[in-house]
Amino acid sequence: MNWTTYLSHWDNAKKQDRNMTGKPQNPGLNPPDSINRSAPAMTADKPASSMAVARCKGQDNVSQRQRGLFETRLAADTDRRNFLLDPLLFVTAVISCYVGGTNLAHAVFNIPTENIIPPALEPVPVPSPLCINGSCATPFTAKLVLFEEFGLNKMSDSAPSASSLPSPTGCQDTPAGQALDSFLKAGLNSVPTRRSDKTDAGVDISTPNPWEAQVRTCVDWLAGLPTYADGRPGGEDFAHQRWGEFFTDSKKDNNLAWFQSAMTGARVNGGLRDNMQLHNYQVGEFAPGGLYYLDADGDGEPGSKGLEIKIHPNLPTQSTNSVWTFDGTLPPKLLMACYGESILFRHYNALPIDIAANNGFGKNTISTHEHNGHNPAESDGFMHAYFYPGQFYDYHWPMALAGYDSINIGATDARTGAPDGQGGITPVRGDWHETMSTHWFHDHMLDYTAQNVYKGNAAMMNYYSAIDRGREPANMEEATNGVDDKPGWACHYANPDNANLCFPSGSGLDWGNRDYDMNLVVADKAWDQNGQLKFNIFNTDGYLGDRITVNWIYKPYVDVRARRYRFRILNGSVSRYYKIAIVDQTGKIVPSWMIANDGNIMQHAVPFPNSASAQGAWPEQGIAERYDMIVDFKGMEGKSVYLVNLLEHKDGLGPNKVIALSDALDPAKYQALVDKGNGDPGVGKFLEFRVQAYNGADLSMNPADYVEGKKQMIPLNKPSTAELQNAVQRTFDFGKSNGTDLVPWTIKTDGGSGLAADTHRVSAAPTIGKTEIWHIKLGGKGWSHPVHVHFEEGQILYRGGKTPPPWEKYARKDVYRVGSLPDSTESVDMAIRFREFAGTYVEHCHNTQHEDKAMLLRWDAEHPNQTVAIPTPMPDWDGVKYDPSVYLPTAKTGDLAAKKSFVLPK
Amino acid sequence: MMKTHCTDGNLTKLFFCTVFMGVVLTLGGSPAWAASQSSPWGEAYFPNIELVNQDGKTVRFYDDLIKGKVVAINFIYTQCGDTCPLETASLRQVYKLLADRMGKDIFFYSISIDPEHDTPKVLKTYAERFRIGSDSGWSFLTGSKADTTLLRKKLGLFRDGVEAGKLGEHNTSFLVGNESTGQWIKRSPFDEPKVLAWLLGRSLSHAKTDRKTELASYAKAQQIPRISKGEDLFRSRCDACHSLDDQEGLGPGLLNVTKQRDRAWLTRWLKAPDKLLAEQDPIALELYNRYKKILMPNLRLSDADVEALIAYMEASSKAAGQ
Repeated sequence: MNWTTYLSHWDNAKKQDRNMTGKPQNPGLNPPDSINRSAPAMTADKPASSMAVARCKGQDNVSQRQRGLFETRLAADTDRRNFLLDPLLFVTAVISCYVGGTNLAHAVFNIPTENIIPPALEPVPVPSPLCINGSCATPFTAKLVLFEEFGLNKMSDSAPSASSLPSPTGCQDTPAGQALDSFLKAGLNSVPTRRSDKTDAGVDISTPNPWEAQVRTCVDWLAGLPTYADGRPGGEDFAHQRWGEFFTDSKKDNNLAWFQSAMTGARVNGGLRDNMQLHNYQVGEFAPGGLYYLDADGDGEPGSKGLEIKIHPNLPTQSTNSVWTFDGTLPPKLLMACYGESILFRHYNALPIDIAANNGFGKNTISTHEHNGHNPAESDGFMHAYFYPGQFYDYHWPMALAGYDSINIGATDARTGAPDGQGGITPVRGDWHETMSTHWFHDHMLDYTAQNVYKGNAAMMNYYSAIDRGREPANMEEATNGVDDKPGWACHYANPDNANLCFPSGSGLDWGNRDYDMNLVVADKAWDQNGQLKFNIFNTDGYLGDRITVNWIYKPYVDVRARRYRFRILNGSVSRYYKIAIVDQTGKIVPSWMIANDGNIMQHAVPFPNSASAQGAWPEQGIAERYDMIVDFKGMEGKSVYLVNLLEHKDGLGPNKVIALSDALDPAKYQALVDKGNGDPGVGKFLEFRVQAYNGADLSMNPADYVEGKKQMIPLNKPSTAELQNAVQRTFDFGKSNGTDLVPWTIKTDGGSGLAADTHRVSAAPTIGKTEIWHIKLGGKGWSHPVHVHFEEGQILYRGGKTPPPWEKYARKDVYRVGSLPDSTESVDMAIRFREFAGTYVEHCHNTQHEDKAMLLRWDAEHPNQTVAIPTPMPDWDGVKYDPSVYLPTAKTGDLAAKKSFVLPK
Repeated sequence: MMKTHCTDGNLTKLFFCTVFMGVVLTLGGSPAWAASQSSPWGEAYFPNIELVNQDGKTVRFYDDLIKGKVVAINFIYTQCGDTCPLETASLRQVYKLLADRMGKDIFFYSISIDPEHDTPKVLKTYAERFRIGSDSGWSFLTGSKADTTLLRKKLGLFRDGVEAGKLGEHNTSFLVGNESTGQWIKRSPFDEPKVLAWLLGRSLSHAKTDRKTELASYAKAQQIPRISKGEDLFRSRCDACHSLDDQEGLGPGLLNVTKQRDRAWLTRWLKAPDKLLAEQDPIALELYNRYKKILMPNLRLSDADVEALIAYMEASSKAAGQ
């Protein structure tokens, strides 16, 4: 904004003030102009370019504040006096801008996020202290913590346990660590059932909450009412769908695996999962002497036992009420899952009974969503199917490929399979084009998702398949022929008949090697003066932390070998977007390739840098988006490589602008601004790779052989023209809606009124087996929304009305960014199919603050002609009751107007 | 071991702290006290500003209005021509659902952002129009502009500097919370009243349970009804004030309204009632005066919306007549 514009705004504001009279004659008949909505609004403008502008933006607000003061102190005929005083105010404002400019501008960067307020007023955001009691955290001095595997147990191998979830000793407590570990180490203490309330024969199987005694002392209204151990809603609608197909007699079928965990408060890792790691700390880089061997407490026994939750070794340990996560421990958790091996996840809620024991944020009732697994609705973590402390919820993740019912039903396709543990491939049903890789699962509790995810309720999940086996060959013989009877090890690059794409991974195990395949979750955090995690529950535009962490560690470093790596990078923030560049220590971009987008392996690898992405960096990455990138560190021994974030935010509404790479790297440039309080502390380097010598042979696939025009990884399964022409089309407008429904963050469906989340309302009811086209639009400028659709992947047909960029052209996605920044657009049109499972799913904005503030819809995938309602569960301590749901009028037909005007891509 | 901040060195605090602890330990649970001292959203967070309610009584925000209570707070101004009357009407439906607990453990506060115009007397008239009496547990309050602005900021219900001078752009969001547990949730007053009643009466209130909210066991869960666009509009916008039979609410009962009124007039009325009123249309004026000067809000309906509404009301009257 230049001076001319500024002055004209000032003029408008003055006019409006003059129009506003103290006492209108007829309140109802002649509403004063200033209340008239059609009056020109002084919109908050986002400075489009230079820093100089931002410094003086504070001016507007200084003078407004002055006006405000005058209004309250003086009488109704203030206006005339204001008018006379205007020039004086103006001059004061100008002077104060130059004198106090820095201070004013400081508060323009609302990070860590306070409630949105005019700059120059308190509270000024308080930086998270890096020095506490003389102990300081500095960048790249803490070693990265690698994910720890949950470990899966076979149903058939496990003996049932007789114990129950250990109880806490008070209303604000969580169970003692050792007791909890003993409990979780043992087998399941009850057989998983299809329905939570009755057996198929109709026998009532409910048992009381194992914490009943303690709960009753804390929750006094429960007197005379029952409690339940199983938190899943009863009845048919939340019964496990197709249970018989995926889980049969455990003796007959070896293909059901299970694991259990408890969501609980931060504690020292007791080594619960130390001997559940596939590598067992004996193989490859995880063996003694390897880069990733871990003996956290130095007792000679490998494992993470002894690891406390500290964001940096020099910062205080997180207390029980600050961080709530799986097992209550670090390292962050990883599930190693294989297609064809169904998973039963028994998730215990071991959080405090007293809601208030949360250090100000986080809810003790939870619901777990596996982000975009092809999962039945009752196990998808519906936001209103939450469960209480002491209870458990059995999530059933069939690990079935989409297309299970329609494609490759006989499981005969050579590319469709999973590692069999012995170098071979177990065939599975379904469409191999739907093979997924990097997922995550996290909380989805109504109104509290942001708080809970921020607090630690998140884990990652790697999907393994014949195609993405997590094994690279040990020698060329293996790469070509697979050696002996190990066809699963042979690589696609040597022979296109081979399924295994041989991404960088390792060769010590049959599958799931993590030596050169690393999960990284990037998340911004903030903490208080005691180093305890903090969050602002009142800011509903979005929360930004000022400190970037990777795998919960502040600006860590990690050793890597001078060879190819695969990085599975998840944006695990609640409101922050990233634009990440990978550079060497001179600031030059290091080449890399994207091989999977949102967990979908692409048709072609996309090389970076490329002309479609600014600054040579990776594309903008919204909340929950996952990019799988291959980087080759060959020839860089002894050097350091950094990940740098280039995307500046001023507040949680969305990203502001991309910072030039050279500015972000030069301490005299952007960092200097941050030090003055005039920049986003989240911009800059945040992860250091220290390259070590590599003496092995890197026979992983070379992504350069798979770029556009060359080999293909997974050909994109485009919907046919006929499918697209017959597709029901729906329009979803994300943003502030207009008119009287001035509810922020609503979704307008099919041109209807903006709606806030109401879990009873069914907004779209697609039919199973059909393809639809969804138009996702940004309903208001100045915001960014990463829109996430559960359950099914979509293919982007158009981004902003044009062909999508290469990394989206060859991929399917489940998070669609709409917004105002270069890599986002104001609209995305995508095609999506619905298969296999019916039930209640959601679609929502994954800026989790927006999500909590009601940017959620609920849609049902229905069988043709089905009219039975899916009622809304209403859980409480004394069980789950139901409430009827309501349809939107367009739920079945969609947006007919949009369908008429939409032009299908060629 | 329960954490305590009783060692602050302040003797008075220590004394009361000990008493507090004693009581808590005796009760053995989480009592309905103010937010614990370790909560960031307690006494130190909320401004204890002075407000005056519609009966002229002066109260303090933290001490008198929210401490230890389950509350719903929204910001209004009585001259608002569009959303506020509808907001008040919608909240009134929630208030009716929670009737026997209002004023006991659940409190509603509508705070004016136009203190110059909205004196306590004006607020009282406004409340009475909506048939909200004194001692109902729903207070209408006014305070200085600076104070209420500070409060809005603290509650995250204020959009940046733009708004300081203008009334028209304020958010119509509202906030529900339980001060003692530190839970604060932003919702819309246009959420289904039943949903809000559940949230306030059951979910947020942990001392009591509201047995009145009728929830079915699975066996009784109903089919989803399919509703037309007109019905959807009616249910989300109109039924806070109108019924479809001849019962009077805050506005007239709408039985046979499509027969009684000239179609063109009705269409215009639904589309822009404020304009008709400004033009001093006689029917509009008559309605305005008859219904206690509660403004029919301009809902920014599209032409298609208006048509759908009229069709729905017509069909509904026809069905009723049979």
